[in-house]
Amino acid sequence: MVGRTGGTLSLSKPKFTINSMKPNSKHSRPLIHAALAALALAALGGLVTIAQADDSKPAAPKKLTGAELYAVNCNRCHPERYPTEFNSAQWQTIMIHMRVRANLPAKQAKEILKYMKEESGN
Amino acid sequence: MKNHFTPRFISSAAASFVLGLVATTPATAAVSDEDFNALKAMVQQLQQAHDQDQKQIQTLQQQLGETQTLATNAVEKADAVAVAQATPPRNALHNFTMVGDAEIQYAKTYGNGTHNGFELADFAPIFLYRANDSILFEAGFDIMLQNNSASGTNYYKGVAGNSYTHDSGSSTSVSLSFAQMDYLVNDYVTFVGGYMLLPLGIYAERNAGWLNKIPDDPLGVEFLPGAGAGAQLRGAFPIGESGQMLTYSVYAANGPSSVDGTGNAYTLDGNGNRISNLDLGGNVGIQNDGNNGNLHSAPSGGGRIGWFMPWGGAGAHKDLELGVSGQTGSWDDAGSYMWSALVLDGALHYGPNFEVKGEYIDTMYNTADAGTIRPWGAWVQAGYKLAGLDWDMPIISDIELVGRVDKENNGLNGGLGAETRRYTMGYIYYITNTLLFEGDYEFIHSCMPGSSPLTANQLIFQLSYGF
Repeated sequence: MVGRTGGTLSLSKPKFTINSMKPNSKHSRPLIHAALAALALAALGGLVTIAQADDSKPAAPKKLTGAELYAVNCNRCHPERYPTEFNSAQWQTIMIHMRVRANLPAKQAKEILKYMKEESGN
Repeated sequence: MKNHFTPRFISSAAASFVLGLVATTPATAAVSDEDFNALKAMVQQLQQAHDQDQKQIQTLQQQLGETQTLATNAVEKADAVAVAQATPPRNALHNFTMVGDAEIQYAKTYGNGTHNGFELADFAPIFLYRANDSILFEAGFDIMLQNNSASGTNYYKGVAGNSYTHDSGSSTSVSLSFAQMDYLVNDYVTFVGGYMLLPLGIYAERNAGWLNKIPDDPLGVEFLPGAGAGAQLRGAFPIGESGQMLTYSVYAANGPSSVDGTGNAYTLDGNGNRISNLDLGGNVGIQNDGNNGNLHSAPSGGGRIGWFMPWGGAGAHKDLELGVSGQTGSWDDAGSYMWSALVLDGALHYGPNFEVKGEYIDTMYNTADAGTIRPWGAWVQAGYKLAGLDWDMPIISDIELVGRVDKENNGLNGGLGAETRRYTMGYIYYITNTLLFEGDYEFIHSCMPGSSPLTANQLIFQLSYGF
């Protein structure tokens, strides 16, 4: 739920800000050093992570078929419709409707239509 | 030279010729009549066989000719069919398709004196006509019979004092949900024009009765115009090959308008009752006097950006969709006061059996007499299909449990307007993939400054069919 009451949003300020580190403070220099050291460690950790990722590159995702794209996109909003429920011409019409309504990319819509027409049996 | 052909030589040759004749005559005479007749019969049989073969050859040649004719005709017909399929006829019915949904509702409302009964019958067809591969005309209608008793989200519609008489009867309505032309300009741009469903959040475009997993609308969506007359550009950009995409919609439409043309918060209805002056439907079409129906100063502008990311492969059914949308424009005739809306939406599917989705809706409009009014609402809805339990029990596996939490505040009365909270739990039984039997119980609590809190729990059953 949204944390909102009485029609007004309440955003609390963060307790610690960069401005809270006063330059004249005795401890400013050690704090800066510590911060720089932390940054350096974080950068080193990031580089190690990237290097490890390079060593074990995940396989490129395979191109999804029309049936797979149908499963991914259409079931988001409604139960599965069987290809045999409509004929090829009707699927062609319905796919334009769904491409617009669901904002499907053209390539995906064409792959799904190809699958539905092939499986419609007529 | 001496002549060798002497008479003695000639006589010897003649004698030899005669002897030769005599010697050969007995050999000819050795073929008997029987042999001759047998030979003759054989020749005659061979002759008959030859004649029959000739006739058979002629018959076969005739049949071969007929077969070749048939084959030629078949090829010509196949070619004709191929040509016909390549150029489909411009038949008005060929590219015409009807989809849509229908619902029947039964409800029992507790706490406000109403009785249980069948409260709604709804038939909502969508007519699709494909002019060609790039142009589609579509129109959706809502034909509804509904009791006029208090039901659904009719709680404190802006002002106190609304009441329903016992004999308010039923009403039948035929309304146009949308009527638009879609033109696929290219792979990334689609033009939409007409009376369009507005992409403010996800619910407005995906709320058909059999798509919505709970029979009534979530709270908060009533503060948004569901449709508007205008023009829109929309499309999607795929990211990689995994199904991930970015979507966009940008539009101009007749936005909300003022009932009496002023920027005042309230006006009076025909009975002298004070009502909200904001008309979310906007003015559409030409008036009886021929003037432009859009009375307020200018169309509103709006749009939505969405991001959809599936993961885990096609069979995983894991995906996340996030979107932000908004609309702004003046709502009074003079163009002095603005109406604006911001909607954040999200939907998550984690496996084939679990989903959660919701919206946060924040609207505001400036008025001449009541400052800024900020109606807002939020809803979160979740569903779990019991098929995920793998109990191997068909009836149980066809059930989905659903729940929803929603809340709204109409922002009137200086921001202390009517506020409604609702908690809903229920189920969907999938009789088929498109025939759904739903049951829900709603805990509803409404309150408004100066009025007693209203508790009107509700039990709803709905049979919905998608076609």
